[in-house]
Amino acid sequence: MTEVLARRSSRALALGLGALFVLAACGGGGGSSGGGGASTTDVTVWTAWGGAELKAFQDVLKPFESSSGIKVHLTTNRDSTNQIANGIAAGTDLPDIAPGPTDPKQVKDWVSKGAIKPIETALGDQFQAYISNTYPALTTPPGGASDDLYIGVVGGKHYEEMVKTQVKGLIWYNKKVYNGDAPKSFSDLLAIDPSKYGASKLFCAGFESGAASGWPASDQIDNIIMRQSGDQVYTSWIQGKTKFSSDAIKQGYQTFLKEVSPATVYGGTNTVLSTNFAKAGDPMFKSPAGCLFLEQATFITSFFQQDFPSLNLKAGTDFDFFAHPSMGQSQYDGNVNGFYDNFSMYNDTPAARKLMQYMATKDAQQIWANDGGTLGAIKSLNYTDPVFKRAADVAGSAKNLLVTAGDFMPSDMQKAFWQSLLNVTNNPGSLNSELAHLDQVQAAAYSS
Amino acid sequence: MAGITPDQIITAVVAVVGVPLVLLGYIILGELVIERLPDSVQGWIRPYFWALPAVGFATIFMVYPLIRTVIISFRNSDDTDWATGAWGAFANYHYFFTFPDTLTSLRNSLLWLVFYTFFAVFFGLIIAILVDRVRYETIAKIAVFLPVPISAVAASIIWKFMFDYQPPGATQTGTLNALLSVAHHDPVAWLVNATTNNAALIFVGIWTATGFCMVIISASLKAISSEVLEAARIDGANEFQIVRLVVTPLLWPTITVVGTTMIINALKTFDIVYVMTNGAYNTDVIATQMFFQLQHNHNSRAAAVGVVLFLAIVPLLVVNIRRFQQQEEQR
Amino acid sequence: MSAEQVTTRGATGVAGAVSILDRLGYRLQRLPLHVVIIIFCAVWVIPTVGMIINSFRALPDMQAAGWWTTLCPPHGFTLASYPQVLAIEGVVPSIGYSILITIPATVIQLSIATMGAYAFAWMNFPGRNLFFIVIVGLMVVPIQMTLIPVLQFFKFAHLSGTIPAVWLAHSGYGLPFEVFLLRNYLGGLPREIFESAEVDGAGHSVRFLRIAVPMTLPAIASLVIFVFLGIWNDLLVALTFLGVSPYRPFTVVIAQLTTSFGGGWQFLTAAAVMQMALPLAVFIFLQRYFVRGVTAGSVKG
Repeated sequence: MTEVLARRSSRALALGLGALFVLAACGGGGGSSGGGGASTTDVTVWTAWGGAELKAFQDVLKPFESSSGIKVHLTTNRDSTNQIANGIAAGTDLPDIAPGPTDPKQVKDWVSKGAIKPIETALGDQFQAYISNTYPALTTPPGGASDDLYIGVVGGKHYEEMVKTQVKGLIWYNKKVYNGDAPKSFSDLLAIDPSKYGASKLFCAGFESGAASGWPASDQIDNIIMRQSGDQVYTSWIQGKTKFSSDAIKQGYQTFLKEVSPATVYGGTNTVLSTNFAKAGDPMFKSPAGCLFLEQATFITSFFQQDFPSLNLKAGTDFDFFAHPSMGQSQYDGNVNGFYDNFSMYNDTPAARKLMQYMATKDAQQIWANDGGTLGAIKSLNYTDPVFKRAADVAGSAKNLLVTAGDFMPSDMQKAFWQSLLNVTNNPGSLNSELAHLDQVQAAAYSS
Repeated sequence: MAGITPDQIITAVVAVVGVPLVLLGYIILGELVIERLPDSVQGWIRPYFWALPAVGFATIFMVYPLIRTVIISFRNSDDTDWATGAWGAFANYHYFFTFPDTLTSLRNSLLWLVFYTFFAVFFGLIIAILVDRVRYETIAKIAVFLPVPISAVAASIIWKFMFDYQPPGATQTGTLNALLSVAHHDPVAWLVNATTNNAALIFVGIWTATGFCMVIISASLKAISSEVLEAARIDGANEFQIVRLVVTPLLWPTITVVGTTMIINALKTFDIVYVMTNGAYNTDVIATQMFFQLQHNHNSRAAAVGVVLFLAIVPLLVVNIRRFQQQEEQR
Repeated sequence: MSAEQVTTRGATGVAGAVSILDRLGYRLQRLPLHVVIIIFCAVWVIPTVGMIINSFRALPDMQAAGWWTTLCPPHGFTLASYPQVLAIEGVVPSIGYSILITIPATVIQLSIATMGAYAFAWMNFPGRNLFFIVIVGLMVVPIQMTLIPVLQFFKFAHLSGTIPAVWLAHSGYGLPFEVFLLRNYLGGLPREIFESAEVDGAGHSVRFLRIAVPMTLPAIASLVIFVFLGIWNDLLVALTFLGVSPYRPFTVVIAQLTTSFGGGWQFLTAAAVMQMALPLAVFIFLQRYFVRGVTAGSVKG
């Protein structure tokens, strides 16, 4: 028995070893270096965009690929910051181009490790043009400081290239339902009687967004705080220097609660918490209208249109916006909330540099603008959509284009912040204990 | 995006065929060598030889990282020095046991531990026993097993449609709330409401796991010889008594194995909570807590959570080892 | 089923009439059994059916009314979502990659696990229990904790971003559970069979290959299903180790089908249904096998 097995086994072993050989050879050759090795002809790009945004980006890339002959290997990756962090720690390959990190600590850390390359290097002599063309708030640290970690400026050098912008805190309405004037102040807004226009409630809101639920709520409260207490308080709050239980922030929460109270919001708090942000505005277009207003950013327009294909909603004629009303402090009215999409370069290759240069041009960003649903980062783009034209004006005329607070807090602070907004919406009586809890989280989050 | 190259297909086929062959060769040739050795040496070299591949893999992918994890749990979050603060180097553990968020996750994990485990095994057992007695057994088993191959993302999509909430008075799109509206009851915001959300998530977990328990228990159930059952029936036992006094004790080893797996799953639960609520409204569990700590670059705190989780399992394993030892004595 | 036979094996005539009543009584007695089973099946099947139906509806319909409304006219079914999903760039190759990742990884880890489980079950050696506790205890370690050291290992072995790397990673992570389950099953096999084979001069390799493995096939078959499923549905491991490379499997692609704002439900439902199809087919095919083929298992009696 054993001799037979021995014969069979030596054959088996030979086969096995041979197989192992082939395995090693193929595995080593066929699979390695998944990204583009040769750096003048290929570039790897990661983006968080999917669906329509991804398609817009692909439209932007097409002319680049055909004119330069460089192949762009585009990958949608929702988790890119974490993966890049892992890659930096493990010393593995990084993508050539990907969004920059939002956590200020990570920005500093990655720059000091040399993981991100300066935009000055990428753009070369086009850098000056980039600076003068782009909205200043996105490229220039306030007060001439050498660092602004929120826009990727460290030691006077830039590490994030801005390509798209959105304006937030706009009050959207259905023009066929609401034909009144834009309210001059927040108290005027609250005083509007929806039944006069045939709607059941004043506001619509939807805070659900999967793993990121709560971010629309934070947009709402950010827009309140920046106009109520000013940009200094706002910025120091982001930096963890102003407590959540402070008067300014507490007042912000209390004002926010007015926007989501059962008396003012469609469907009551359960609906607000269960409705996905993309669908939150739908009641505005139903008959009878469920509500008059939705506070959201510029990107919401495509969601209005896709949810009601039969209505064929047109920007400007069917729906429009007015800017967030003043909170009564006129010196803070110039504070506008915006956010931007950016790219950083992680591998300095000729192909990557070319792509970075291309994305900073007016031609590239015009394609984005034409595809709709967004503003570019360049000031002088043409917008055919009347709504976006006005939004660009809002962005251009803002005294301070302030970032969204939660996005730039340490991520555990942001998470607790978003959850606190959901919790107080669910249970307004818990405000004080939520704020105290947030102070605790703040102390732990900013210290280490 | 790249297509599949013939290269890769060859590699895969080689792996599928080659690895078992290599292992075969390893065993056979190894044994040829070992059998030639003196008996005393054989006795101890052989087990290590056989277990080497498994242990080797486990070491690289699990043991070494685990050791590193334990060490990290005592460091500060930049890994530049040992942790300081309350309880000294145990600062991260102190954080875990005193911070309200982590305590909530601990409580929720205990809820999962008790209810998920009990009901998944219980339903699995009952269904296995019941369908054994009907002709459409195969179809019924497939039905209950259906959720098992579904990924967490798909399961969360499915249950989002079940739990969907529309304002009272509007047409309900969620199945559960639609049923409630038929009964003239207001819709419930299952995932938001503090009294229902943990139960809802745990139920989704039970829903996905019962099929697994059922399949494994059913296989063992089939192995119970019918003579034993006949003998019991002839002795006058009714069906309930047979299940309670004959079948269940015979299935007990299998139930223990399945139960252990379920307990470990309960402690590791991540996907369902993460995808459906992201831990919001106090539905956080230990694994999601740990994920968040990692996301926020608090590697040392995440490490402490991991260690606590591991230590929680050890008593369970000791129980299992004892059972194995009993098994050995019996044979 | 002797009771049943006795009751229904009625004699002729009057006895026959009585037996019909008996049969009816028997059926009614069994009614609760059927009811309970059907309720369980309903709860376990209907949610999935709901999603499958939704995958055949257009997005606005899905948002306006629940899936059961399609059961009455107008039905509003559309097949459009499926081709749309398949047309999305990267989707079709990713299905291939899923298969390419899943099958070898399953084979590799089960071969290794069976060998190891046999050693733990039937060989006595110092440190056996300790090793076993450690290996099985590793089941509970969340994968996130192991990512960075393993990434460094792959870089060192020049396997970064390759599919074989994912095979090895899945094997490493899956082994603890498989060793646990298989050791339990193997340990329950009757000692006599092995002893008589040993007396006949069969060495360990023969006992393993010709006795242990064939008798363990039912357990291995069940494990094949679960391991296959686990890898097919895995998201985290693929995301971590194949993030930079173009060889991403289907799960990763589905997870990114939504816009960064979360739209696109019609794609998600269709993609989820497609993802479920293969594992279900595997299960239905294999379950017939092991239900019939169970021999002496871990049950004494």
